[in-house]
Amino acid sequence: MPATITAPSYRVGVDIGGTFTDVVVATSDGGRGVRKLLSTPPDFGRAVIAGVRAALADLGAEAGARSEVVHATTVVTNAILERKGARCAVITTEGFRDVLEIGRLRMPELFNLFYDKPPKLVPRRRVFEVRERMDHHGEVLVPLDQDSVEAAVEAVLAAGVDAVAVCLINSYANPAHERAVAETLAIRAPGLDVSVSSEILPRIGEYERTSTTVLNAYVRPAVRRYLDAMVAQLKAQDIDGPLYIMQCSGGLTSAERAAREPVTLVESGPAAGVLAGRELAQALGYANALTFDMGGTTAKAAIIEAGALALSGEYEVGGRIAAHTRLTGGGGFPIGFPVVDVAEVGAGGGSLAWIDAGGGLRVGPHSAGAQPGPACYAQGGEAPTVTDANVVLGYLNPEAIAGGEIAIRRDLAERVVMEQVARPLGIEPLAAAHGIHLIANSAMMGAIRAVSTQRGRDVRDFVLIAFGGSGPVHAVGLARAMGIGTVVVPAAPGLFSAVGLLATDLEFQQSRVLYADLGELGLDELNAVLGELHDEVWRMAAREEGQGVGYEIAAELRYWGQSYELTVTAPFGPQSDETVAELIARFERQHERTYGHRAMGERVILVALRVIARLRPAMAAGTARAVAGTPAAAWTTESGERRVYFGPETGSLATPVIARAELSAEAHWGPLLIEEYDSVTVVPPECSACLHPAGHIIVTLGAGSAAPASATQGRLE
Amino acid sequence: MSAPALWPLASAPEGLASDIDPVAFELINNAMTFLVNEMALTLVRASYSGILRDNMDFATGVADLDGQMVAQGLSLPLQFGPMPDAIAAVKARWQGQMEPGDVFVLNDPFEGGTHLPDVFFIKPLFHEGASFCFVCVSGHQVDIGGRVAGSNACDSTEVYAEGLRIPPLKLYERGAPNQTLFALLEKNVRVPVKLMGDFRAQVASLSAGEAGLADLIQRFGAATLRRYWAELMDYTERLTRQEIARLPDGVYRFRDNLDSDGIEVRPVPIELALTISGDGIVADYTGSSPQVKGALNSTLSMTKAATYFAVRTVLGVDVPNNGGFFRPVEVIAERGSVLDCVLPAASAARGMTMFRVVDAVLGALAQAAPGRVPAAGEGGPTLFSFGGYDKAREPFVFVEIFGGSWGGRPDRDGIEGISHPVLNQRNIPVEVIEVENPLRVRRYGFVPDTGGAGKFRGGLSLMRDFEFVGAEPAQLQMRADRRVTRPYGLAGGQAGSPSCNLMAPGTEKERELPAMVTTTIAPGETVRFMTAGGGGWGDPRERDPQAVAEDVADGKMTPAHARAQYGIVVDAGGATAPRKRDSHPRAGADDEPGDGQGLQHIGRKQI
Repeated sequence: MPATITAPSYRVGVDIGGTFTDVVVATSDGGRGVRKLLSTPPDFGRAVIAGVRAALADLGAEAGARSEVVHATTVVTNAILERKGARCAVITTEGFRDVLEIGRLRMPELFNLFYDKPPKLVPRRRVFEVRERMDHHGEVLVPLDQDSVEAAVEAVLAAGVDAVAVCLINSYANPAHERAVAETLAIRAPGLDVSVSSEILPRIGEYERTSTTVLNAYVRPAVRRYLDAMVAQLKAQDIDGPLYIMQCSGGLTSAERAAREPVTLVESGPAAGVLAGRELAQALGYANALTFDMGGTTAKAAIIEAGALALSGEYEVGGRIAAHTRLTGGGGFPIGFPVVDVAEVGAGGGSLAWIDAGGGLRVGPHSAGAQPGPACYAQGGEAPTVTDANVVLGYLNPEAIAGGEIAIRRDLAERVVMEQVARPLGIEPLAAAHGIHLIANSAMMGAIRAVSTQRGRDVRDFVLIAFGGSGPVHAVGLARAMGIGTVVVPAAPGLFSAVGLLATDLEFQQSRVLYADLGELGLDELNAVLGELHDEVWRMAAREEGQGVGYEIAAELRYWGQSYELTVTAPFGPQSDETVAELIARFERQHERTYGHRAMGERVILVALRVIARLRPAMAAGTARAVAGTPAAAWTTESGERRVYFGPETGSLATPVIARAELSAEAHWGPLLIEEYDSVTVVPPECSACLHPAGHIIVTLGAGSAAPASATQGRLE
Repeated sequence: MSAPALWPLASAPEGLASDIDPVAFELINNAMTFLVNEMALTLVRASYSGILRDNMDFATGVADLDGQMVAQGLSLPLQFGPMPDAIAAVKARWQGQMEPGDVFVLNDPFEGGTHLPDVFFIKPLFHEGASFCFVCVSGHQVDIGGRVAGSNACDSTEVYAEGLRIPPLKLYERGAPNQTLFALLEKNVRVPVKLMGDFRAQVASLSAGEAGLADLIQRFGAATLRRYWAELMDYTERLTRQEIARLPDGVYRFRDNLDSDGIEVRPVPIELALTISGDGIVADYTGSSPQVKGALNSTLSMTKAATYFAVRTVLGVDVPNNGGFFRPVEVIAERGSVLDCVLPAASAARGMTMFRVVDAVLGALAQAAPGRVPAAGEGGPTLFSFGGYDKAREPFVFVEIFGGSWGGRPDRDGIEGISHPVLNQRNIPVEVIEVENPLRVRRYGFVPDTGGAGKFRGGLSLMRDFEFVGAEPAQLQMRADRRVTRPYGLAGGQAGSPSCNLMAPGTEKERELPAMVTTTIAPGETVRFMTAGGGGWGDPRERDPQAVAEDVADGKMTPAHARAQYGIVVDAGGATAPRKRDSHPRAGADDEPGDGQGLQHIGRKQI
């Protein structure tokens, strides 16, 4: 990096989705710019560059100064969902060819004899066996038979694949055989992209490790191409600082590592949204928050507790979206990494309302999607959606949304709600629309409950941070129904995930399976493992420019006999009897909070140990964390008033429509609509909104925290 | 449901009752579904034993004061049914003596239970001083005592040998634990820490349900909630009846067999006359075997549950998980038969009988709705347990429910490597088995050529080889079936290959194990478990030659099998396009399980 700086340096946060590319730029002299553009697949870099240039132009800055780009991408998730990954082969231990296809046997749908497993990423004909075997201590039971390796490599070459996953039984305990196979591959088939399971995911559990490694192999060529192109394009525009990418665990990684372990980039975008939520909660002084991100087809929720994210070890990619799949699993391909725990339900603005054969009103999971879209978009949609209901209720602008880009036909919304819901059910159109809105809310409550009450947390101890285009429309009603007292709608709610990227640290981690009784495990052994893991992550972190490396220990613990771990974190350092006792005590506290009980005195098993290193990207300090100061997009609506329906007990009320900028630190009482470029915040009666100095809307329900009873009782006549 | 549509949608749905607000209805429906699933998640997360978590062998629910299920959580489908009988047993013994804070426990198959390992917890809830509803949880315990570790033995001849019988008793009385009962329980099970851990999980689940209901009462009001609960069940009943009414009326008969009574090998018939008449179904099992000597006897409550499951799979719509579904389905079995047993029948291994009931009901329904029913799957997983001491003289018990595969379907092949649909159990990872037990898995995978031939073939058998590496001989107990009576094919498809379980496979000492057995295994010995293959659907000669070639390329079928069963000539790699069919393939005329080529290399001494 040049020592002299002539222009202000800047950092860019970019969230690249399938439809939109959101860009946030923060300069070292305090400037902030935002842009929302259509994505430009497959050449995603074009939108990024256009966005950065435009945002810099807004700030009167220009490219060529010192820069850093942090981005979240949907490229991995899409490659898996669209089955557009590489042609892969698998090399495994003799006798275990079918581990990948068998999976865990579970299906996400009960009572459906026409269920099918997700289509295979690697067919059985491309799974090859080598003769070898390790035991669970890492002792060699059967030495690696080099002839069988040669034969397998031969078969791999004959199969004409681009990538190979090497996944041997018990390799988590000793990677020697996997490495030897990889070496032979490197010599005999140097052009092949090889992913080795003991490097990608050194964890116990052959199916999950194999699945993760296969996914890595499957997406790697595509991710490599994507990153190479992105780096080249940015360089060509003199944006040549480091490129960092959001991982599923909620930390950044370098482009170089991402190209090697691209499977860590799944759910990159949603993780960025949760990170943004954490940063915002911290800035506003809330220890506990729930993030709620509602878009066109799905709604996502996540939890932030005592300033920390929740991670899940049981994530599956490519499965069907349904709340109950969290119970059964089996709908997609598991990823054994810790993934920011985001619960998703198939309820969004485009979700369709329909009447089932028993006369019940249902919403989703089918969606009108972008095409034909809601009926009110007049693009051919002929079925009522949640967005149509919101137009009928008066929540959405009856003429145009998205800064005027999408024209709205209120009459079409009214017609489909009338004809397809109200009339068949024999109820008023407003009641029908309100019903659709409430039923969508009840589905989304499922997502929020999945990350909160289902882990033993009381949602009333949390604030709700709402973003995404539809999040602010539904958030206050949702909060009311769940007894949540405060809703925060950040500045630029439609670009919130991109904002989160600028607040994220680099993160590196390594783990080791121990599977030992924590009471019996010697301190020497524990400290030796920690030392090795520390050195490994230190080597990774040392390659990056950054500041303030911090280390943390994450221990996966369970009581003896349980088949489920809780992850407990602790500051990094040499362990003593006291720190081990403290770790156990923390585990027991967390166990009690999550499950309502603890089993004092029973053996605690240390399943795995992880060391995590975090460092602040080099320029992050200079530009400060951007969440607090992101401006709302420039577009504002004309102030005015319209009739809005808030439910049978209140009926339709004349409701002021204002811009965010018209709010102040004082309480503005509902009913109120706050309209802006990318969303509308609906503030019902008996709630008040005020503006935080940093531009966020804070809605307070009732007298601070509405009891569930007062909020909903009147609904039932 | 993605089953192919057999009939057009009903013209106009019969609507909700006139006093019901459709929006509130859906909100309460959703809320109840969340609540019982939250109870299920709480149980799974807090449970100790893998059975609850990996097999979901539990049930969670809310019942009204009549004991009708208002909502039940997603779990093992076979657990959807027995709860009302358990509540009835509690009421029969304790009516008028229930108080807030009481939690009832029971497991006695002759007083509300189904078999001893399934322990029911039932908690009456009160509102404003009056009883309001029940929250209920049942869970399969890892051991409830008795003569064999795991309490699963199929060769017990009396319930007294199977473990501790618990009649409906108060486990908690006004919130206080019944110390006498806890102490007695602790002394009568092998792994009290797991039992107590799972009991705590069941209590946590009840508490989650209780808290959720308090919230709902506050939100909607007790009277409203009750009214909507009744409507929820009526709604489910309406949906179910509408679907049944679309099936052609008639009496459909089917007979299937268990191959053993748990003690000796002999056919145990399950005889079914299934009558569809208008919008109701009667499943009459009269003529089925009298109750048997071994532990395969079922309570009527389980027979009902298995019947409900099979009927539900052929409905064209998804219905809520509540008691309204039970109303249109009547189940008849003779007292003292294997499907409605009386004292002192043993019932620990009655799961196998339930799989055969499901096969019989689906076999009958296939005649009424041929496009909606798959051929028979593996017929229930093989359950085996190893128990003994490892090299450090620490005791171990390892139990696995192993399977399976589905039969061919009217529009696609059966799946291989999937749970039996009434169970939805998970497998146990090889690496976890090895770290926790003195066992080594030598092989785990599909067996080629074992799926019943058909236009849509059955799923392949699953095989797992275990080497025992303990210090001294251990007890090995196994419950398999489908050794003689193979999984049936449909519409001209062939039966699947039989199950086969071997000691010392592929060696001089190879010997076949009886399908149900308790034996010992010595250090260094290997045992092979192999489930049956699924039946085929449709004439094998109609199978797409390309699909045959794909199977050969994937090594799921040998060229010899392709030729013998399908009349298709493909080379070993399956790489070249399949050549024309032989004009007279053996398929269809021959009832052999495949041609055995695939079994050759895995040992098939007694096949």
